[in-house]
Amino acid sequence: MGLEIIVGIKWVPNTTSVNIDPKTGTLIREGIPSVVNPHDLTAVEMALRLKDRYGGRVTAISMAPPSAIAGLEHVIGMGVDRGILASDRVFAGADTLATSYVLAKVIEKIGDYDLIIMGHETIDSSTAHIGAQVASWLKLPYIYYAKEIDYNEKEKSIMVKRILENAFEIYKIKLPAVVSIAMHTYEPRRIKISNKLRAKMENLIQVWTSKDLDIDVNCAGLRGSPTVVSAIDFVPKVPRKNEIFNEKDPRKAAKWLIQKLIEEGLLDP
Amino acid sequence: MSVINQRFDAIVIGAGPAGSTAAYQLAKMGYKTLLLERGRTPGSKNMFGGRVYLQPLKDIYDDFEKKAPIHRWVKKERISFIDNENSTTIEYESTKTTSFTTYLTQLSGWMANQAVNQGAILLTEIRVDKLYRENNVFKGVVVEDEVVNADVVIDAEGINRLLLEEANLVEKLKPNQVALGVKEVIKLDSNLINQLFGLDNNDGLSWVFIGNLTNGIPGGAFLYTNRDSISLGIVLMLEEAIRKLDKHIYKLVEEFRIHPLINKYLKEGRIMEYSTHLIPEDINSLKPRKLYYDGLLIVGDAAGLLLNQGYTYRGVDFAAYSGYLAAKAYDYAHNNGGPTSDNLSKYEELLRNSFIYRMLNKFSGVTELMKKERLFNTYPALINELASRLMHIDYDSYKIMEAFKEVKKGRISWLTLIKDLWEVSRKI
Repeated sequence: MGLEIIVGIKWVPNTTSVNIDPKTGTLIREGIPSVVNPHDLTAVEMALRLKDRYGGRVTAISMAPPSAIAGLEHVIGMGVDRGILASDRVFAGADTLATSYVLAKVIEKIGDYDLIIMGHETIDSSTAHIGAQVASWLKLPYIYYAKEIDYNEKEKSIMVKRILENAFEIYKIKLPAVVSIAMHTYEPRRIKISNKLRAKMENLIQVWTSKDLDIDVNCAGLRGSPTVVSAIDFVPKVPRKNEIFNEKDPRKAAKWLIQKLIEEGLLDP
Repeated sequence: MSVINQRFDAIVIGAGPAGSTAAYQLAKMGYKTLLLERGRTPGSKNMFGGRVYLQPLKDIYDDFEKKAPIHRWVKKERISFIDNENSTTIEYESTKTTSFTTYLTQLSGWMANQAVNQGAILLTEIRVDKLYRENNVFKGVVVEDEVVNADVVIDAEGINRLLLEEANLVEKLKPNQVALGVKEVIKLDSNLINQLFGLDNNDGLSWVFIGNLTNGIPGGAFLYTNRDSISLGIVLMLEEAIRKLDKHIYKLVEEFRIHPLINKYLKEGRIMEYSTHLIPEDINSLKPRKLYYDGLLIVGDAAGLLLNQGYTYRGVDFAAYSGYLAAKAYDYAHNNGGPTSDNLSKYEELLRNSFIYRMLNKFSGVTELMKKERLFNTYPALINELASRLMHIDYDSYKIMEAFKEVKKGRISWLTLIKDLWEVSRKI
């Protein structure tokens, strides 16, 4: 009864404190704490709300090094029922294609599911690929930018309201399906200490390696990743200037300002 | 309010040095222990100057020197009397060492990890809202709308004692009971640190400054070498700082950093971190009336167990050792009928027989001494002027007593000088 929901989370370096090495063009990850991708927490919140309304079970999945167990504990703290971490050296260096392949294999192995929920995108790479690619591997319908989901148990279908620039669209989709949730749709709920204790004491997290999954290692990790980052260009830094013009008469002040903007080439004379 | 059906022998609030060590020792003795931390990681609310004394930690943790995250062993100590242009320095160097520098978040994290390895359960990002009490017996903690029960609660919440205040066990902190520490961590290449300060690999420097860096406010400044960074900062008696400081406190740290006698070391440096924290000072008035109640023990900064020795603080070793003793006290109580206030008074007894109370009693006059502004203004200036008279020579040079009489003139009387000298040597 109820909905079997799988929600994908990514364990990302907290980009608010990440710098980029100007020489190598790579992220300086040293000493940067990781967090659950904030947009994925919105997806977790959606999953938990659906569970609150219709019952069922929420399983969080992730592909990451073992340190991501802390991230799965975090979402179990919010109320997720269990976590599955795909973790193996051969998964390392994956682009979105290789990542979605492994996640799809994890979902296949779980087998019993109605709905797969993903976040809008991740804060460390912003591709928004994973939802679409997982759906494609699993040959499932996919809908993105979802704001609301209602479940019809009799028909085994969902009504999804998705947001566009100036409009909403409403779709009815047969389950199983993949849905990614528009960012900032919900504020993720707070952690409960009882849930966090369950995460620590009840063995709710399983770690699956490539051996546990029916995987072609040529499709996983670096080997399965066709994407190449050829270069990183930096947005040039604009040096800030400031000048203060003390003038009580707004006409004179405006005139001075316009003159300045013309001098800077920001206004046509 | 719902009660969680997991029951613990002990809940420790706060994964700093005191809490983590208490949890480590409890778990090691086989008690089912829950360690709760408000921050994202253990120690994320902790801050200190930069140095830890080793011996008490060696008593608690096996192989501490080999396994703990130690940056540098302090083998060089400097005390400088400083004014705008001059400084007079006493330097002590040894091949032996009794203390080390580190990042406190790393050390707290390591200690919490030892607790987890012994079987304690660590939960981070959990804010305890209240101590849970039934009929005046402490029985657990309240987190939002849930209660977790335990046989004993160990309060290691630190100097900001919101839980103890809420439980009416302590009064709100007053400015005259604490000092304010403000610190910057500055990244510097490890080899460059060795060259600049004349250190071998893994050897460290601890440097204390007394003088007008604090704008005449009682306090001092410090500099420690970490592995590949420098910690430098200022400590001010809070009450005097509130009364007298006419600018934002970060400006003081900034002035210290760009002081011509300091800045020359930091040219290649990059500021990585700015932090500030309260430091227990007036222990007698700040210490809770009792450190043991039915089902509750208080450790670390929350208990006011920190030593100001005048030229150095001892916080981390005191905190950790108090956590260790609290765990031992609970063990005693557990084996003697339960954690009643009577049984837990063992903690007080253990503290009394340890270096903690011995040192707090011995140095109890320091706080009073710290309020003598002369020590921070007049004397450093006097020492520097004396040195300047003796060292700066054009044609005529001074004899020592001649120079001394001249710089002393109008500043201080012989009588005051001798009295101060007597007091300092007795209290520190």
